Order: sequence, then structure tokens, then C-alpha cells
Amino acid sequence: MSINQNFAHYSNLFIALALVAYAAAFFAYCGEWAFGTNSRFGRSVAALGAEDKAEAAETAKVGRQAAAPAVEAVNASDGGNGVTVLTRSVAEEEEPTIAGGNLRAEILGRFAVMATFIGFAFHASGVLCRGLAAHRVPWANMYEFSCAASLAMSFAYLTLVVLRKKVRWMGLPVTGIVLLTLGIAYTLLYTDAEELVPALHSYWLYIHVTAAVISTGAFGVATVATILYLLKSANEEGSLRRLNNTFDRLPSSVALDRTAYRVIAFIFPLWTFAIMAGAIWAEKAWGRYWGWDPKETWSFIVWVFYAAYLHARATHGWKGKAAAYIALIAFACVLFNYFGVNTLLTGKHSYAGL
Amino acid sequence: MSEQTAQETVGTAPSDDAVPPEPAEQQRLTEDAVEAAATERAEKLSTAPKADDGIAVPSLGVLGMLRWTWRQLTSMRIALVLLFLLSLAAIPGSILPQRSIDPTKVLTFYQTHKTWAPILDRLQLFDVFESVWFGAIYCLLFVSLIGCIVPRSWAHFKAMRANPPAAPRNLKRLPVHASFSTTADADEVLELAAQRLRRRRFKTVRGKDRSGGWVSSEKGFMRETGNLLFHLSLIGILVGVALGHFFGFKGAVLVTEGSGFADTVTSYDSLTLGPGVGAQDLPNFSFVLNKFSATYQTSGDQFAQPRTFDAYVNFKSSPQAKAKKVDVQVNVPLTVNGTNVFLEGHGYSPVVEVKDGQGHVLFNGPQIFLEQDEYFDSSGAIKAPSSIKGGTDLGFQGWFLPDAVIQSGAMPASIFPAAYNPMLILSAYSGDLNVNGGADQSVYSLDTTDMKQLNVKAKGAGAAAGNALELKAGQTATLPNNQGSITFVGVRQWAQFNIAYDPGQQVVLPAAILAVLGLIGSLGLRRRRIWVRVSEQADGTRLVEVAGLARTEGATPTAEVTQTAQALAAAARQPVSDGASA
Repeated sequence: MSINQNFAHYSNLFIALALVAYAAAFFAYCGEWAFGTNSRFGRSVAALGAEDKAEAAETAKVGRQAAAPAVEAVNASDGGNGVTVLTRSVAEEEEPTIAGGNLRAEILGRFAVMATFIGFAFHASGVLCRGLAAHRVPWANMYEFSCAASLAMSFAYLTLVVLRKKVRWMGLPVTGIVLLTLGIAYTLLYTDAEELVPALHSYWLYIHVTAAVISTGAFGVATVATILYLLKSANEEGSLRRLNNTFDRLPSSVALDRTAYRVIAFIFPLWTFAIMAGAIWAEKAWGRYWGWDPKETWSFIVWVFYAAYLHARATHGWKGKAAAYIALIAFACVLFNYFGVNTLLTGKHSYAGL
Repeated sequence: MSEQTAQETVGTAPSDDAVPPEPAEQQRLTEDAVEAAATERAEKLSTAPKADDGIAVPSLGVLGMLRWTWRQLTSMRIALVLLFLLSLAAIPGSILPQRSIDPTKVLTFYQTHKTWAPILDRLQLFDVFESVWFGAIYCLLFVSLIGCIVPRSWAHFKAMRANPPAAPRNLKRLPVHASFSTTADADEVLELAAQRLRRRRFKTVRGKDRSGGWVSSEKGFMRETGNLLFHLSLIGILVGVALGHFFGFKGAVLVTEGSGFADTVTSYDSLTLGPGVGAQDLPNFSFVLNKFSATYQTSGDQFAQPRTFDAYVNFKSSPQAKAKKVDVQVNVPLTVNGTNVFLEGHGYSPVVEVKDGQGHVLFNGPQIFLEQDEYFDSSGAIKAPSSIKGGTDLGFQGWFLPDAVIQSGAMPASIFPAAYNPMLILSAYSGDLNVNGGADQSVYSLDTTDMKQLNVKAKGAGAAAGNALELKAGQTATLPNNQGSITFVGVRQWAQFNIAYDPGQQVVLPAAILAVLGLIGSLGLRRRRIWVRVSEQADGTRLVEVAGLARTEGATPTAEVTQTAQALAAAARQPVSDGASA
């Protein structure tokens, strides 16, 4: 089947539009953080404004209190039928928000979320058109894989937003990474929509690569949470005091750590499955299910590191930061497995257009 | 610590050990900390071997040392270290050329790194995945795994048969607690609670103590089952790999269009037989490659990328069987009784006729040339031994270009992988090919030690072309001094087939599937306990308490506890008839 040039053209157009929308979202998120009342910048803006200094100081103080370390509370609630329910939990104090009550920041934040949605719509259309143009699954080379993996990441974030989870703090890093990935794809990795090389003529392309795309995107999200966890817990222990106001607007380090763990625990079986599906395909295409091809070797290394992370999290003396560093090394291996193996090492996973 | 003793601890001293501290005492304890504490306790309750605290070498003699070593080896900390070592050890295997993947690359590496190569070789860095040290790491890891998993499986088996522990006295201290007062009979409420929890597949027991009756239940044993299944499956995978290595074989053969292959040891270009396989065990099939066809992209970013490969073969599953026509493609191997024939690569075999000065034909047929780049500039050699003993042999080596373009000032080069304008560029030699002398020779290059290069430089040819013949299909070149001639008759293609038999797959695949299922269970399921306690109150009513504890991080069963309490409250209001549902 020949390539549908119209769809190919639209795909490129949509990806370009997605880049513009994500860029707008990224800057709006930046603005939200910058103008948020709690930030030093936001406070100085407020101080320079109509309100007198005392009021600005007051606001800042309130903000500080709101984000004070959580106190355990026994929350009593009426469960109906005369049932009293007690839950021990973090006092659901005002959930720290990035805007911190500043109207300008709040508007920017909402605009950012909207722009992310628009970017996602363009991005999804771009990936879809690419598939329609080539009559196949649109993640068969590095450009397409980057587009699809960043789409998966964007999708994961927006799903949480739609489910009304408190994940606005993820907006800035997620759009940043999506923008970067998509930008690299669009400028450096771009290749025309074309048919596949014979090695990829298999339905395992749908199974194996789809699992790999989703896993890569999700590991990215977990890494964002892990990095923020390390920074936040350093801050909670008293370092980086200058950034107190910024960190106050993030969830607690325990919550961040748990987010990272949950994403990894959820996606690790899928990554295992991706490797397994790859092995079955390799057996069909190359006559062996495992041959220590560089891509296989590095996927194995990634797998071992995430396995180590999961073990470390259940081992005394390795919980917390040590485990988090393992997760970071694991993601560095994911990145090397993608960029490094495809460009530096030669193996059987080298297809047209990288 | 075994489950048995853990339960005893909980059963006998529930108030101190099994519940979080008073909120008043621990005001700053967050929910997370409580849960973490609960999980930690759950871990202690669980069948997992306790982490070793500190490494102190005891002076217990040989037996003690062995015991100590074994305990270290099966500890989680050592398992972690071994996991890191395993991934570190795999890295050189992906960076340095490996014999098991591409032996020619190792040879090239040897030529370019004359000092380093032998040292690296001695460290087995060209055979990383077969090396002693890599093997040692994964063997230790599996010993550690077995040492951890076997006792743990036994403990889990016992835990699954044992009853959940008695309800703690003060349920209010648990992370989630729901209560209501009722006038209903304590026994009825407890029976309703037990029924409800059993229906929800909680393992449930009832009991009585000073403060009243209780129901204790636990769910999520499949989490540990999944965990153990995953680890046991890893052992299954290792066994399968070993079986495949022992009873399997793999080989490769290059077949030119028009020629055939019979499955005997000597027909292979390379063959690795497992220790448990003999030459007589090879399946006795044969095939002839009728035609190989390839199509390529002709425009755009992916110019010259292949689009389809088809190897049309006439295949016989045994010497007596009828020939069958089969189209072998990259993802569509040919399968004969568990042995698979895979299409792995392809290239060109120029058909050449070489005559000596007297007109005797010394060589006539296709000769395989190996591709060197994406446009299939291919290199190879043609050996034409003299027909008379002691006579002068002729030899040629050089390039085959499928779509040659003459460039000024440079060697002609191919600009497309398909044979649109085939050309041979060959240096000619005469003398002794040494084909009958001792050492094995490569069929792709000449041993020119006893040969003399002939001056075949074409008149007017540029310096770049060198002292070489340039032949288009159908052309003949005469060698100087009446030494003979060479004719480029035509072009055929060759296909490389990998032939593999791996009985270990029958074990590896199911084990891998079980491993994934085990992982899903082990990471996706939550293990938790729910207790119900009914006690008499001063005003003559009864207090019903429901409380829950996570045995998995972040799995506090808030919703389950609340719903259980609500259902019990709703049911307890109504007159309870026999077998009424909650």
C-alpha cells in the first residue's frame, strides 16, 4: 500500500501545532509558579502593588502556615446509618496549590491546563494521521516512537487531571519533558512516513512496541516524581531553604515517593511483558528468543534496575533515598537504551530512520 | 521469623505490638508514617526472612561459617548487590563486539586494537554472556533466590492454612475504624459480619475474649503467592534456557539461487550443536532456493531501505517426501518438526566463467560476495585452480556492485541495492592459490602469498580505479600474456538461512507467562486485615467496631471497613431472620 501523502502532511502540521500549544502551556505553568502568592517573585509583585507591605507579609505568613508540616488527625465522619468512621490521616489542610490564591496565577494555571489539552488533541491527531498515512501502527521508528511515548506521558497526566487527582504540580515538568521530547523528535529525528522494512512486518510490532511506548512514558512520569521527592525531602530536612516557598507548593515527600512507587509498581509488569513479547517476536524473526543484542541487553539492564528498586523499597536501610537513586539510574538506562543504543551501538534493532 | 511465631505475638499481646501508638503520643505521625509503620509491622509479620542487622563474622568454626555465608547469600542486601553486579556485567557485552553475535567483528577489533584485544579476550570480554564471571553472578543470584524463596514458600503455605490472628483489643488505634451502637444480638451481628467477609473471600475466623466477641479476617494472600510464583518462574526460565542449550542446535547457511541445502553437518557454514545433540539428530530435510526477490524504497528519506524479502524454496521434509513450494519471509519462518528455518540476510553471487590460456574452463558458476554497506557494495574472491596438477592457478578478488556508477577520481560505487547495473571490479592474480595446502582458507578472500598480481589496468582508466578489471554483465576480459580470460556471465542472489532448534522454549515460554502473571499479582494485589468486635456498653446497647489494617504499603482498606460497618448497621436495625443477607 502506498503512503497517503495528505495524511502525512496533516500529521506534520498537527505535530507542529502541538509543539506550539505545549510551549504555550509550559510558559503558562511557569507563570503560574512565578506569580503564585507564595513565591518570592509573587510576593515582591504583591508588595509593589496596591496592597501595602503588611498585607503582603500577612498573605505570605498564611501561606506558610497552610503548608506547615502535616499533623496527624483522627477524622471523624458520619458514614450514614449511625456509623461513625475514624480515619487517621494527614489533616486535610488546604491542599497546597501552586497559585496560592493569586488570581493572576490561577488564571495562568487554568490556561496552562487548557493549553495542555489542546496540545494533546493536536498531538493525538498528529500521531493518528501518521498511522493513517502509512497504514500501520505509528511507532515504527525513532521519530514516531518519540511522538507516541510523549503522547502516552501527556495522556497519563491529563487522565489524572480529568479524574480530579491533585496533580497540577506535575504540569510544569510533564509539559517540559513532552515539549523537549517532541521538539527533539521534530527537529532531529524526523523522517517521512514510509512503509516498513521486512523485519517489522509482524503483528508483534503492535504488541511489543506499544507496551514499550507506554512503559517508557510511565517511567518518565515516575522519574519526575522521584526527582521531586529527592528535592522535597532534602528541603524538609532543611536544605535549599531559599526555595521553601516553591517546595511548600509540592505534595509531601512521602506522597511524592509513593506516587513514584505506584507508577513503577504498576508499569513494571508491563515492561516485563514488553521484553517478553519482544523475545517471542525475536524468536519468530531471527530464530532465537534472546541473543544479547544491545537493545536486549539494555532492556535487561533497565529491568534489573527497576527490579532492584522494588526490592530496595522493601529492604531495611535501602528505603527512601537509596531506592530513589536506583530508580533514577534505572531511568538513565531507559534513556540510554533509547538514544544511546539506537545511535551509538549497532545491533539488530536498527531500522530505517533510526 | 515465621508466620507462626508472628501470629502468636499478635495473639497474646495485641495491644502493644499490633497497633499504632496513641495519636496523643505521636502527634506528628502522619497517615503515611502510620501506614509505613503498619507495613513494616506487616513485613515483620510476613514470611519474608528478616533483614540481617550488621555483618559480624562469628567465630563458630567451619559449620558456623557456612551457616553465616548461607544467611548472607540469601539476604535481600546481597541479592540487591548481585542484581547490580549482573546489570553492570552485562554492559561490556553491549559495547564490545561479541563472538556469539558477530565473530567477524571480534576479528576486526583484534586488528585495530592489537595490544588491548588479547587482554580483553583473556578477561572473556568478547564472550561476556558465556564468561565465568557472568555465570558466577547469575548462579549466585539464583542460589540466593532459591535460598530465599523455598523457605518462604513453605512459610506462605503454612500461613495460608493458618487462621488470621485474634482481633486487637483496642480497634480504635488502627488506621481505619468505624463503629455504631445497636440493640441487636452480639452473636447475630458477628455472624452477619463473618458471612459478609467470607462472601468477599476474606479468610475469616470468630473468637471471644474478655471484652466480647470478635471476627478476624484477612484477604490478599495471592499477593505473596504471586510474588513466589514470579520468583519460581525465574528458576523455570533458567532451566528452560539450560535445556535449550543442551538439547538444541543452531546453524547458518548461505544458499545461492538455484542451489540447495541438505540438513547434514557438512552443509552448514556454521553450526553449534548442544552437548546433548549428535550429527544423527539433525532433521533430515532439504531445500532448493528457486528465487530470492527483494524490493526497495526508491525515493524519499528512506531511499534504498528494503520493503519486502521473499525466498521461494522447494522444500522436502525428508529425502522421500514430495517437494513443497514455500515462501520464506523474515517474520515467516519455515517449520519442520520443531526446527525452524529463518530468512536472515541476503546478497549477490555474480556468475563468472574463468578459462586458462588454453581455453580450459577452470571455474564456472556463482560465487557468493558479502555485502559491505546498504547499497550492497559486496566483496569477495574467485578461485580458479589449474586443471593440471602443478599448473598455474588464477585468482581474483575485489568488488561486486549491483548498481554501479562510474565516478571521476574515485572508485566506481553502487547507488542502489537492486541489480540494475551490475559490475565486477577485480584484481587478477596468477600463481599458487594454496587451496590444497594445510590451513583452512576463507572463501571470501585470496591467499596471495604465492601469487603475482597481473597488470590488467584498463587503458585510459583513472588512477582511482587501481590495477583492476571492470566488467559489466556479459563482458569478457582477457588476461595479459595469454594467461586466460574471465567472463562476467550474470547475477544471482543468495539468501542466508538460520536453522535453529530449541526445545527449551517449551519451558521458557510458559515460565515467562507465569512470571508476568505472578508479577501482576505481586504488585497489583493488596493484602489487608479486617476485624469486627462487638462489646457490651453501659447503657445496655452493644458497640460494633470494624477496623482495618494494610499489610501492603498504602492499602488501608478505608472503603471496605466503612462499607462493612454500614451494611452491618443497616442489617442490625432490621429484625434478623435466619440466613438474612447483610
